[in-house]
Amino acid sequence: MKVKEIMTKEIVSVKPEDNAKEALGLLFKMRISGLPVIDSKGKLVGMFTEKDVLRHILPSYLEKVGRFVYEENPKSIKKKFQDLVNLSVAKLMRREVVTIDENTTLCEAARLMLTQKLRRAPVLNKEGKMVGIVARGDVLKALTGEYSV
Amino acid sequence: MRNHIVKFILLISISVALGICSRFIGLSSHQALAVAIFAVSILGTLFFWDFRLSFAFIGTSILLFTRTIDLENAIRFSSLEIILFLVGMMVLIGLLKDAGLFAWLVSLILRIRNLTAKKFLIAIAIISALLACAVDEVTSIVFMVAAILEICDYFEVDPVPFIIGSVLTTNIGSSGTVLGNPIGILIAAKSGLSFEDFIVKAFPLMLICLAVTIFILVIWYRKALTQLDRRIKELGSNEILIRLISVPAERQLMVCLAIFGATLFFISLHHRLELILGLETNTVLLIVPLISSGAVMAWKWRKAREYIEKDVEWWTLIFFLFLFIQAGTLKYTGATDVFAKRLLEVVKHNPTALTGMVLWMSTIGSSILDNVVLVAAFVPIVQSLKELGFALQPLWWALLFGGCFGGNITMVGSTANIVALGILEKERNIRMTFFEWFWIGLTVGLITTVIVWLALLFLPFYR
Repeated sequence: MKVKEIMTKEIVSVKPEDNAKEALGLLFKMRISGLPVIDSKGKLVGMFTEKDVLRHILPSYLEKVGRFVYEENPKSIKKKFQDLVNLSVAKLMRREVVTIDENTTLCEAARLMLTQKLRRAPVLNKEGKMVGIVARGDVLKALTGEYSV
Repeated sequence: MRNHIVKFILLISISVALGICSRFIGLSSHQALAVAIFAVSILGTLFFWDFRLSFAFIGTSILLFTRTIDLENAIRFSSLEIILFLVGMMVLIGLLKDAGLFAWLVSLILRIRNLTAKKFLIAIAIISALLACAVDEVTSIVFMVAAILEICDYFEVDPVPFIIGSVLTTNIGSSGTVLGNPIGILIAAKSGLSFEDFIVKAFPLMLICLAVTIFILVIWYRKALTQLDRRIKELGSNEILIRLISVPAERQLMVCLAIFGATLFFISLHHRLELILGLETNTVLLIVPLISSGAVMAWKWRKAREYIEKDVEWWTLIFFLFLFIQAGTLKYTGATDVFAKRLLEVVKHNPTALTGMVLWMSTIGSSILDNVVLVAAFVPIVQSLKELGFALQPLWWALLFGGCFGGNITMVGSTANIVALGILEKERNIRMTFFEWFWIGLTVGLITTVIVWLALLFLPFYR
């Protein structure tokens, strides 16, 4: 079985110039943690995820400062949330995206998801155009279906 | 891309030109090659930061391949003792970070009672300087910037003056002990100066320069201080900041503090211990961090690999190792002896003029270059001067203070500057202009260097 047989073909995506707050609202509405970002030429240019938003609102030096507990919410978080309205998706999205070819085997897709710590991956055709998206759960479900006795 | 090509052509042209010029002033082909390769490493650091290790690897390989230096001497000049000292300290710092010590220090700054703007500026200046003395400048600046941003956010004031103040005093503080800056341990290892020498001679001079810098900062940023005072009056005390973060006062934090305290204690006594035990100079200084980090890795054996792989800056340390080999090659081939003689001709064999020249060359040089690169180049030249009968101590101090204080002049002058400005840009989207930094940096850089110059010239203590 190949990835193209199990992928979700109806792609919901956002554009790089979209408003970050609205894109976050779309994530909540669809109850998913990330969306592909596709430009006006139909090219995949990044992924916009909940993790990217969290990375934006929390201080970048968190890990360098070491272990501590927030007992109150810092003022900067409120300000950064308010700033989301003025930010485009392109400002927050992750540009290095691991993609999967539509003819990839399930086992290879599973290997990529495990080694690259992916929850989902955009699927590209031979021309490099995004044709679907495959989630870790989709791969596991398909493998379970194929190998369960 | 075009910009990179131009820089690369410039790098190769300057290095080749230096090699050819070296031949004209009487250097042998091996000496000229050593000069050209070292120039590639310096310019590689300046133009292609991400590729500097690549330049260092290839350059050192060429030196070995052309028999400019042999393998045995390359290993001897690599100064493994300095690299191991830094590895030990980095593991120890990793443990302290993991235990929450730095976050605890941030929380202490946030809890300053009856805050006033002047009190805040003076507190961050003193803490920045003293922490840079105890840990290294890059580690200390991260949590100083974290504390400053939280406080400035709370009172809704511009953090730039306070960040600049903290960075300037961090660079000044880093000259106070062997631990503050990699050039401290480099100078200690090559000169035989002990931790005690640093405490007796470098630390007091650092404190004087710190006091002067605080005075300059208070005057320079008086408008920012007035604005902060106004905001403190409007918003009241920093109650939320006091409660903002907590670090569980666990046994682990106490044990870590005890290990760090013991490390500092034995480092401070290393010279006496070496005399008592009949060990070679600086042996105890170099092994204390290794013993402490060894104990830490035995205690936290599950995380030992993580401390070594993540907390040790291998990228930087390996670059240092190759840089030391290349600087050592200058000494091995005798190129530095030629430079030392030329330097003496320029200053007409006057020790006072020589000290001033080394101080100002290292100050101006380290305002543009990585100070480790600069000091590594100067060390063999200073060593060559010993053979010509010069007293070296003032020159070592000139190198130390010039290397640390020069970093204040430009915004790219030291790693602490780059780290702090990087956080500022990422967190507040504030991109500082060159001149916004330059005028205050130049003022502090020049005045503190003049203080050191006067001390080295007129106090027999430093000779």
